[in-house]
Amino acid sequence: MNPPFFTPLRRRLRYLLPLFRGQGKTLTWGFLLLAATNLTAATIPYGMKLATEALMTPTHDSLILYILALIGLALTNAFFRIHSRMTIFGMGRDVEYALRKQYHAKLLSLDAPFFDREKTGDLASRGAADVSAVRMFVGPGFLQSSNVIMAYTTTLPVMLALDPWLTVFALAPIPLVLGSTRLLTRRMYRLSRIVADHFGQMSGFIQESVAGMAAIRAHARENDWNSRFRQETEALCLASLKHSQLQSLFSPMVLFAGSLGGWLILAYGGYEVAAGRLTMGDFVAFSGYLALLIWPTVGFGWILTVMQRGLAALDRISGVLDVQPFLLPELINAPAKTNRWNGHISIRDLHFAYQPTVPVLRGVSLEIRAGRLTGLAGRIGSGKSALLQVLARLYPTPAGMIFMDQQDLTTIPEAELRRNLTMAPQESFLFSAPLLQNILLDRPDATQETAQKALALAALDEEVKGFPQALETLIGERGITLSGGQRQRAALARALAANPVIVLLDDVFSHVDARTEELILNNIRFLSDSHTVVMVCHRVAALRQADWIYLLEAGQIVADGSHETLLSTSQLYRELHDTMTRTEALEALAQ
Amino acid sequence: MMPAVTSETEETRYGTFLDAKLMVRFLGYTRPHRKWLAAALLLPPLGALTQFAQPFVIQLAVDRHLVTGDMAGFPLLLAALAGLNIFQLVVGYLQFAVNSLLGQRVVRDLRQDLFAHLMTLDANFFARNPSGTLTNRVANDTEAVSQMVSAGVVNLAGDILLLVAMGCGMVLLSPQLSLLVLALMPLVIWVAFRVTRRMRLIQRQSILLQARMTARITEETEGRDVIRLFHRGRAAMEQFDQLNRPHRENADKSNFLEAFQFSFVESSSTIIVALLFWYGGSLMSQEQLTIGVLAAFIDSVRRLFFPIRDLAGKFTTMQSAMSALERIFHLMDTPSAIVDPVSNLATVKKSLGEIRFCGVEFGYDAQRVITGIDLHIRSGERIAVVGPTGAGKSTLIKLLNRTCDPDKGHVEIDGIPVNRIPLPQLRRMAGVVQQETFLFSGTIAENIGLFDPSISRERIRRAAEETGAMSFIQTLPNGLDSILAERGNNLSVGQRQLLGMTRIFAFDPPILVLDEATSSVDAASERLIQAALERLMADRTSLVIAHRLSTIRHADRIIVMAKGSIVEQGTHQALMEQNGLFATLYALQFQASN
Repeated sequence: MNPPFFTPLRRRLRYLLPLFRGQGKTLTWGFLLLAATNLTAATIPYGMKLATEALMTPTHDSLILYILALIGLALTNAFFRIHSRMTIFGMGRDVEYALRKQYHAKLLSLDAPFFDREKTGDLASRGAADVSAVRMFVGPGFLQSSNVIMAYTTTLPVMLALDPWLTVFALAPIPLVLGSTRLLTRRMYRLSRIVADHFGQMSGFIQESVAGMAAIRAHARENDWNSRFRQETEALCLASLKHSQLQSLFSPMVLFAGSLGGWLILAYGGYEVAAGRLTMGDFVAFSGYLALLIWPTVGFGWILTVMQRGLAALDRISGVLDVQPFLLPELINAPAKTNRWNGHISIRDLHFAYQPTVPVLRGVSLEIRAGRLTGLAGRIGSGKSALLQVLARLYPTPAGMIFMDQQDLTTIPEAELRRNLTMAPQESFLFSAPLLQNILLDRPDATQETAQKALALAALDEEVKGFPQALETLIGERGITLSGGQRQRAALARALAANPVIVLLDDVFSHVDARTEELILNNIRFLSDSHTVVMVCHRVAALRQADWIYLLEAGQIVADGSHETLLSTSQLYRELHDTMTRTEALEALAQ
Repeated sequence: MMPAVTSETEETRYGTFLDAKLMVRFLGYTRPHRKWLAAALLLPPLGALTQFAQPFVIQLAVDRHLVTGDMAGFPLLLAALAGLNIFQLVVGYLQFAVNSLLGQRVVRDLRQDLFAHLMTLDANFFARNPSGTLTNRVANDTEAVSQMVSAGVVNLAGDILLLVAMGCGMVLLSPQLSLLVLALMPLVIWVAFRVTRRMRLIQRQSILLQARMTARITEETEGRDVIRLFHRGRAAMEQFDQLNRPHRENADKSNFLEAFQFSFVESSSTIIVALLFWYGGSLMSQEQLTIGVLAAFIDSVRRLFFPIRDLAGKFTTMQSAMSALERIFHLMDTPSAIVDPVSNLATVKKSLGEIRFCGVEFGYDAQRVITGIDLHIRSGERIAVVGPTGAGKSTLIKLLNRTCDPDKGHVEIDGIPVNRIPLPQLRRMAGVVQQETFLFSGTIAENIGLFDPSISRERIRRAAEETGAMSFIQTLPNGLDSILAERGNNLSVGQRQLLGMTRIFAFDPPILVLDEATSSVDAASERLIQAALERLMADRTSLVIAHRLSTIRHADRIIVMAKGSIVEQGTHQALMEQNGLFATLYALQFQASN
């Protein structure tokens, strides 16, 4: 994802520049405030010069005036400085906010094929660290570069007017400051990446050791593991030391550069003052001007590195923003055409593959009539889940293959599809949120009764009463941990609470015991009078309940019919049935 | 490096500023680095000395030379000032460098100790504590402590000393002017401290909000199907905004405080300088002050402000380090439930591998897992354990190698109670192959020898040939030195179990304990596993939790367990004739799989 070196800046900034639209006023305002800050700051040493010179006169002419002016300048300077920083950094924060929002919205619009390619941790870190790096690029980047320009344009002429030679001497250390800051920050950045790598490696080692503790213990390997960890920490320690040695150099160097300038001023200016060619006041003022230039220069050297990092981060974000989902915005934003479907599904010669070279569904055709309970049977990897996933439009399929109530799936608005069809996926994912929120998903039209009813259908209502805060119980890392079966039933309840016409159930009973499954199946049986239910079956009881069963093998439908018919006609079906029966008997034995 | 804050946990809370007991215990860790500690304590006074001397040089330069115009001796002063500046650069660098050196070393030692302690803890502890939390303790909490040291908290006293030294210098130069500065200082310090503290709190909040946004993105990515299926995209955006917006608003606060802090220090130093002009002017008219002293004073005031700002930062760093130290020492004080006996230790020279379970009972909390087991396994006997899920088969293994200790009764090897055998020796006596062989990142060879230097390369190679694992190892690009991708994700279940068995050959224990994989294994691995098992059992006592028919057939005795006790035992033939639980299990499970 690294852009070529010569990619034009304008193109690299393609997502950043639009965020500045309408910020013109703020930009100007910030720039003006910054100018005022620099002007007042530059006047202070001049005030000191005047005050010093007044002190040198026997009567201290207008000293009190200069003193008051100095105090006034200090206060106005503080005022301008605070406001300029607030304005400019605020702008950076606005950009950060907007970019993060845009990035997040983009992620929500992307579909399963994209996420299959990307790593979760990587996507999350782009939304966090990378967006922040861009903010540093915008806020402090703008401030520091404007600052350095202004500091020099306001201060330099004054200094030159006072004494050109002294100016040359005073500024002699500046290239050194700029050069060394740039060098130091760049190397420090590189070293800090190395430190971060070592740190990550060490953390990984700890995590792995904790995870593999049983193996370490069983073979009494603790001592060697300790010495391996010592090596890891030693490496981290050395890398950190290298980094901190450079870092230690940083602020003494800056301080030294300032002192060096001061020393040069004294070495050259001292003689000038003694000879009477320079006033004592000018001498004092020069030290002040030098101080005014040092920090912006350091800041500029630092910001160049920050901006480099910011650009790289922006590239990483842009890479995600560039991706186009298969589901077009037209369909996402279009209003629903029909309110409630009948629930008829027809599939015509459906071909599908996750990866182009590995076909998963090979010419599936079937009709599912409204109000039927349809079962999908077949071995692992036969394409049952894939069929449900494309029916739920999680993966793209070409037009003309899947129809819902005679509408082509690829033309149905998202709002209409989701209102009429839902699925309980194989992996019962729940959010770390209260149970109620997990069931209703903050749908505005859903009430607590809806949730209760759905929970009853999924046979989870009794257990929920025993939860610490019933429906309000927090699920997940910071709350209670649900068992696999409870999670599956909660996910089922969530699907049922949405009350769609078509319900797709992907092996939702794998962690539920047989008795509870029986209970839920009866409920679903009853439900299927008014709903179309399609479910992947891995248990005998489910097969028995189905009105019609499709048997899949290697991505094709090899047989279909009722449970009894298939038992007598299909060898594969009988084998599947026998395996299920045996497994269930073993499970029953364990109870 | 900033420790990464990944979620809203206790890790992000502030502790008290100073806990004497924690601090004393922590200072123990600096003892091996006494020399560096001494340097860290000695350098600040040296730095203070230069800070102290500089104003005097400036005063001399102005009063003796610049004002009078007599430049004799001025170069000497210039040289002195140059010397001071260079000295300051060196001392300044050393001060930072020594502090971070000390910080890095101490944190390294602390980490090693903590990790070593972790290694001694029992299985039950690891079951109760999520690996993320433990990793956090060893990696991140210690990092917070390192920051405390690197920030120079060790020489906090030195910093204060520096301020005092500068104050003294000022008093020596001019008591009257000093009075003015010292009178205003407390106010400046108070404001600087308040603002820094508030700033840190707000920054913490920002970090937390950002961590929660990251967590949200992670969760939404994992639960993307749910969001899509239930059409919750818009709601998710709104919820995200409920974090993003406060984060934005919080930034305004921290921006203001930061700008205020910066401007406050600048402007108050200017104001104090202006006041010095005013007061100094009146003193000068009374001839109680020279212009040189005033110039020196102005120079000092500028210097005074930086340490003050620093100090405020150090105090807050210390607070977060204190709460980290508390958690670290808490973990270090957690005792292990399984420890070597302090006295009455048995020494086993050559184990015969005779095992005896005597009236053993075990349970977790209220749940009984083993309800009473008496079992005698003769040296060299082959035992197959069968039974339905949850019968307590794996617990039997755990009791044998002291992964847990029984509540009642005891386990013996060669007539010696296992809790009298030193743990490392005990675990070398009973080699365990888990159902799922855990593989570490590293090469195949490292995963067989488990980094044991006493296991030679030759022995590893032989072991791999012995089990037949070599046949698939050879097909890998670098043979035994092939690096395993993500904990052996590229290996099949069968290959992984084969590697687990190869470990046993390499370690060569007198007792083999094996939990057969339940999941189906490809035909090639199946054959290899059976052959390897045959060879493994040949000359040792073996206790195998069997899921395969062949294992059962080859056993000398079959133990049938149910609900935590032995319900049937005998040979295959005898048990089939008995027509009990074994016969049922056999019909359901073993016959079908063959």
